[in-house]
Amino acid sequence: MNTAVIDVSKLPPHVEDHTSPIWWGNTMLLFIETTMFALLVGSYFYLRMNFTNWPPVRSDVGLYQTDPDLGFATANLIVLIASCIPMYIVDRACLRLDLRVVRLGMAIMVLIGLVTIALRFFEFRGLKFRWDDNAYAAILWTILGMHLLHLITGTAENLLMAAWVWLKGLDTQHARDVRVGAVYWYWIAAIWIPLYAIVYFGPHWL
Amino acid sequence: MKVSHQAIPTLAAPDEAARKAMQSLWTRPPGLIGWLCSTNHKDIGRRYIVTAFIFFGLAGLLAAAMRIQLAFPENHFLSPDLYNQFFTVHGTTMMFLFAVPIMEGIGLYLVPLMVGTRNVAFPRLNAFGYFAYLAGGLLLWGGFLVNAGADAGWFAYVPLSGPQFSPGHRVDIWADMITLTEISALVGAVEIIATVLKQRAPGMSLNRIPVFVWAEVVTAFMIIFAMPAVMVVTAYLAMDRLANVNTHFFNPAEGGDALLYQHLFWFFGHPEVYIIFLPATGFVSTIIETFSGRRIFGYTAIVLSLIATAFIGFGLWVHHMFATPLPLLGRTFFSASSMMIAIPSGIQIFCWITTLWTGRPRMQVPLLFVCGFILVFVLGGLTGVMLASVPLDLQMHDTYFVVAHFHYVLIGGAVFPLFAAFYYWFPKWTGRMLNESLGKWNVLTLFVGFNLTFFPMHILGLHGMPRRVYTYLAETGWGNLNLLATIGAGVIAVSVVLFIINVLVSLRRGAVADANPWLAPTLEWAVTSPPPAYNFYHPPSVADGQPLWHAPEQRPVVVGLSTEKREVLNTTIIDAVPEHRYELATDSIWPLLLGIVVGLTMTFVIFTAWAIPAGMFFSLVVLYAWFWRGNEPKFIVEAAKPKVEMSQPEAALAAQT
Repeated sequence: MNTAVIDVSKLPPHVEDHTSPIWWGNTMLLFIETTMFALLVGSYFYLRMNFTNWPPVRSDVGLYQTDPDLGFATANLIVLIASCIPMYIVDRACLRLDLRVVRLGMAIMVLIGLVTIALRFFEFRGLKFRWDDNAYAAILWTILGMHLLHLITGTAENLLMAAWVWLKGLDTQHARDVRVGAVYWYWIAAIWIPLYAIVYFGPHWL
Repeated sequence: MKVSHQAIPTLAAPDEAARKAMQSLWTRPPGLIGWLCSTNHKDIGRRYIVTAFIFFGLAGLLAAAMRIQLAFPENHFLSPDLYNQFFTVHGTTMMFLFAVPIMEGIGLYLVPLMVGTRNVAFPRLNAFGYFAYLAGGLLLWGGFLVNAGADAGWFAYVPLSGPQFSPGHRVDIWADMITLTEISALVGAVEIIATVLKQRAPGMSLNRIPVFVWAEVVTAFMIIFAMPAVMVVTAYLAMDRLANVNTHFFNPAEGGDALLYQHLFWFFGHPEVYIIFLPATGFVSTIIETFSGRRIFGYTAIVLSLIATAFIGFGLWVHHMFATPLPLLGRTFFSASSMMIAIPSGIQIFCWITTLWTGRPRMQVPLLFVCGFILVFVLGGLTGVMLASVPLDLQMHDTYFVVAHFHYVLIGGAVFPLFAAFYYWFPKWTGRMLNESLGKWNVLTLFVGFNLTFFPMHILGLHGMPRRVYTYLAETGWGNLNLLATIGAGVIAVSVVLFIINVLVSLRRGAVADANPWLAPTLEWAVTSPPPAYNFYHPPSVADGQPLWHAPEQRPVVVGLSTEKREVLNTTIIDAVPEHRYELATDSIWPLLLGIVVGLTMTFVIFTAWAIPAGMFFSLVVLYAWFWRGNEPKFIVEAAKPKVEMSQPEAALAAQT
């Protein structure tokens, strides 16, 4: 007959690392979104085959001077990469449930998120084409726009977690949520590196 | 091997008080609102199955109307415009509102039971997935009922579906419906993956996972990599069509490309076929194992075939485009890869035949449907290999030969196994058996009707009848075979009606089902039919792939999970060693509200792009409320509290042993 039971009452009730189901759920989300960006990049190169000049020419701004502006774009890239540092500090602080660092760090992350969103709108201005000018403009606006959606959701998620830690403090469960949000933010920053290279340097290298 | 028809006592509650307490902890709140708040995977799975079956019936009625129209040359039953809407809504409904959701719905019901856990990993998200799917279905059929039914075919090729040739909002409805149903499919996929990775019973290492669960996981991964393509391409289409957005993705005058649409669509569309087919092979493996009374032959080969199919399935989309200008290398590559996918499917079929051959098959209705599946699907597979050949494909392209081929693989490969699954799991879902003799008539009529309908289409296609024509001239000589096909469609209709009668009668008067009426080996049969809200009072552990065939009452069970909150056990991914406990979310109204917000967003985006920022804002508001713990409406909190005095499960179990 039944001789043994598996007693799990001594196992931890929550974990804050990659063994948690929500960590895997988030990873699957990132698979989905990475696939989406890969398809956008595929479309970019597919459409490129239809053009002799990439970016296409425009008579009103000087025929061949239609490369997108680099200034705000590069600034945004630097801000995004640099933002991983405070995110990482918060990430580590969550492991030791350091409420003070997490509160401060999350507030900073929300501000950085707002800055990147604002910079993105300046980037749109520097594209030199409206989205409805041609297929080149369509795919460019879509890549920047889809990434903007992630900046907004990432910042909204950070805002929610910031509100939580300021109002309710921190326990293992919510430390885990902050850390999963951090993974999302690293991804937002990392995916922008190849996208930035393609959108802004693609015209020169191709 | 002595297998019991009864529930395994060690997994059930030790006494009535404990059972009641656990039941009230895991049961949804009472009433309609409570029903809408439910996050139980069995409620959600049942919703998917019933809704998808209703859409199957509706799309079947459209098919019947098309067959009536085509029964005679120059018939006037349907106008050309109505015929366009009928075949588009028929195909779209069958692919997006029936086949994928029903396969995932059955998975969402069965996977947690089969891996020995109490609910899916993200119960609220799961509830939202259903509402998004329902919103998509209502959008498509709502449009259809107000004469705005999609009419550019289920794959809506540009330029036909573009702003120039499809004015009005019919195609917009189609494109936005896609977004909603694919959100739902992706949600279901994430649920299944996370649940199987993290919530398997202790001891259920990768090589002990039931084949059906493997099939659902592999399918879920395919969904994750395939569905984004159709969301991207329909977003492009919607942006090209939307006033004030007017992008030029597919407009050749501005550097756009119609073939980009086809590439992206079929990068999703071909894996979609396997997304529908792989869960069906999971049904088949499960049913053959049970009814042969022996361990499935070639478990490892079958699982590797599933994975191989998933990989190869992403490498052959271009065979839908052999009639477009392609480089020679491209044609050769995709022709070869299309033929190659016959190999893993063939391996599975030989494993099934060997299992049947070396076992003692019991010829009951589920197995009869499976036999029908093997015959029909092999025929569909053979025409598939034919169509993979470029010169042959160019001759058959857009003829009824293709229609015959994909109905053989889709009805043969998915609907026959699905009916097998209905007969097999109906007792588990409802606690009643379906009638066996009516079931045999069901098999016979479906098999005869199906072949009468679709076999003549091969010949019609070879004679040159193009698909999607609303009528044809008598001089073509296609009349007799078309009439035969229509008669066959009538027999299929009889079969489906027999099935519906069987379900309705058996729900009330069917024989009461034991826990394990078929003497099956997997864990869903270890508990009563239907299962209690919490599935397992004491979650099981397993030591092999057929736990119920090997003295399950002697296996150690899991104790020590909370009896005050909804808790499950998380185990390691490879070996399923207990790792930590995990609290699941409670019932909630927010998934429904998010479903409404997302559904309205995709409806209004037919008219204006401003629906997107507005929809994002309201979605965020709902998601904040969803997340914020402690704000659940009062009646839910009340209902979630156990009403009965707790008993000590460990003590009770010790007393038992």
